[in-house]
Amino acid sequence: MLPNRSRLSVLIFLVPPLLLYGVAVLLPIVQSLFLSFFSWDGISDMEFVGLTNYIHMFTGDTVFWHAFSNSLGYLVICLVLQLGGALIVASLLTSLRRGRNIVKTLYLLPAVISTVAIAFLFQRIYSIDPVGLLNQILGWVGLGNLERAWLSDINSVLAAVSIPEGWRFTGLYMLIIFAALLSVPQELEEAARLDGASRWQVFTKIRFPHIRPVWITTTIMATTYALRGFDIPYLLTNGGPGQSSELLTTYMYKTAFTSTNYGYASTMSVFIVVECLVAVGLIIFTLRRKDEA
Amino acid sequence: MTTQTAPVTRSIVTSPITRGARRRRRKPSVFRTLSTALIVVIVIVQVYPLAWLFLTSLRTEHDYASGNPFALPSSITFDNYARAFATGNLGMNIVNSFIVTMGANLLIVLLGMMAAYALQVLGFRFSKFVRGLFLIGIIVPVQIALVPLFIDYASVNLLDTYQSMIIPLAGFSLPMSIYLFSSFFEYIPRETYEAASLDGAGPYRIFGLITLPLSINTVVTVVMVNSIFIWNDFIFANTFVLSEGLKTIPLGLQNYIGAMGKVDWTATFAAVCITITPLLLVFLILNKAMIYGLESGGSKG
Repeated sequence: MLPNRSRLSVLIFLVPPLLLYGVAVLLPIVQSLFLSFFSWDGISDMEFVGLTNYIHMFTGDTVFWHAFSNSLGYLVICLVLQLGGALIVASLLTSLRRGRNIVKTLYLLPAVISTVAIAFLFQRIYSIDPVGLLNQILGWVGLGNLERAWLSDINSVLAAVSIPEGWRFTGLYMLIIFAALLSVPQELEEAARLDGASRWQVFTKIRFPHIRPVWITTTIMATTYALRGFDIPYLLTNGGPGQSSELLTTYMYKTAFTSTNYGYASTMSVFIVVECLVAVGLIIFTLRRKDEA
Repeated sequence: MTTQTAPVTRSIVTSPITRGARRRRRKPSVFRTLSTALIVVIVIVQVYPLAWLFLTSLRTEHDYASGNPFALPSSITFDNYARAFATGNLGMNIVNSFIVTMGANLLIVLLGMMAAYALQVLGFRFSKFVRGLFLIGIIVPVQIALVPLFIDYASVNLLDTYQSMIIPLAGFSLPMSIYLFSSFFEYIPRETYEAASLDGAGPYRIFGLITLPLSINTVVTVVMVNSIFIWNDFIFANTFVLSEGLKTIPLGLQNYIGAMGKVDWTATFAAVCITITPLLLVFLILNKAMIYGLESGGSKG
């Protein structure tokens, strides 16, 4: 604490940021909570309906549950691609002597591309007429019978909209994990190697425990980002065909701005926030516990 | 912890052998060759879609519609770029994205630095509580703000303005910026501040003459990291902006498909290439700063 500070100076530095944050983030959270107890189309009078929206969401709305399970599928695919891919590439990269920076830069490249551009790109990768990259590869390796229009097949569409999101950010998590792996003391690894530990044992007994705090952070980042995923499914399929790639976020967006049902959309956004908080709690709980054991 | 401390002591004893072992491993081992090959393959898979995007933007339409997608273009043409500029409003979209990115970054840097200064350097009784409040913004998804802000903007006539995009973009990026600045301010030695205080400098002069000039590197980091997300923002722009004249790059690109009815893919890909160039250039030039920022943003959390 500075000796010469006054209460006024603290306020002068603190109030402007709090004001912006309050208007853009805190107030909307409170408003959403408030709106979730009302029925409102934006034009006629607001009507207080109590818990009706919540009861409808949990018991009466099959689309909601469908979207919820799709969101979980989307989350799993993103986590496997982003964290699994990041961990593998980061581990391989530590054994490389030269060219680390170029690999880092190239691997991060997709993260600077806008989601609209990515949606265009993947629309063509998945396309069947003219033959897109994916179907062409399948044809070459003799899996031609798997060729399909990936975005209009209800069995493949969820995976097809999740993969671009996983691809986009895996470089970001790779960077973070790689930086953590570099901080593992070399002496530890070499000593273990001399004692006859295999590469796998070195990884599970020394490297991974050492990077666990960073692993928790990246897991939280990747999970909360995947749960708010919206752009790519919205742009690629808009939730279709049918509801087979509808996520909670796209369903909520349509409820708000296509059906202008602000009350019910707010109920869903409250649910999404609670879902994120629960997910973060669960991650900290499970990963920390292992640490203590 | 116990499993980790034991080998340390042993490694001190065996250090000469370790050095020998390190020299031995410098020979190309099977493992290293394999992992190098694997990395090369992974990087090619990761980057190929972008290379393909660029190659397609140079193809003739006929070549695109009939050819093998992996083949190199049979002839290179820049017609697609001409058509991309003729149909869309790319120049204006880029200017709009630039204005929004600059505006949001200005707020994020200035306000983030001020909040971090109040929290980290000045200190006050409820600073823990305020920190917690800002932490919420990192976890909460942006979608929660869409409906309330739409309603609020409508009542104060802010819909369809630059501010309608800048406010939520800056608001949601503020916590990460405060966090990065706070962790940097920790490294400025207390003595610097105490000496300045003894010389009679108040909190404002210390902020302007010590904290601000020392933080330039952190400012670059914060700007780089946030610019990726703000430049590419789709959801706020798509929700709050309606008029053609305010559309940012993501919206302008999306327009492409609608405007042409039957999609002119090679021209669309040319447009995509044009719009990703500014950020890509900045990224390639400043990628050290950006990579450093992304690494420290995650690993200190």
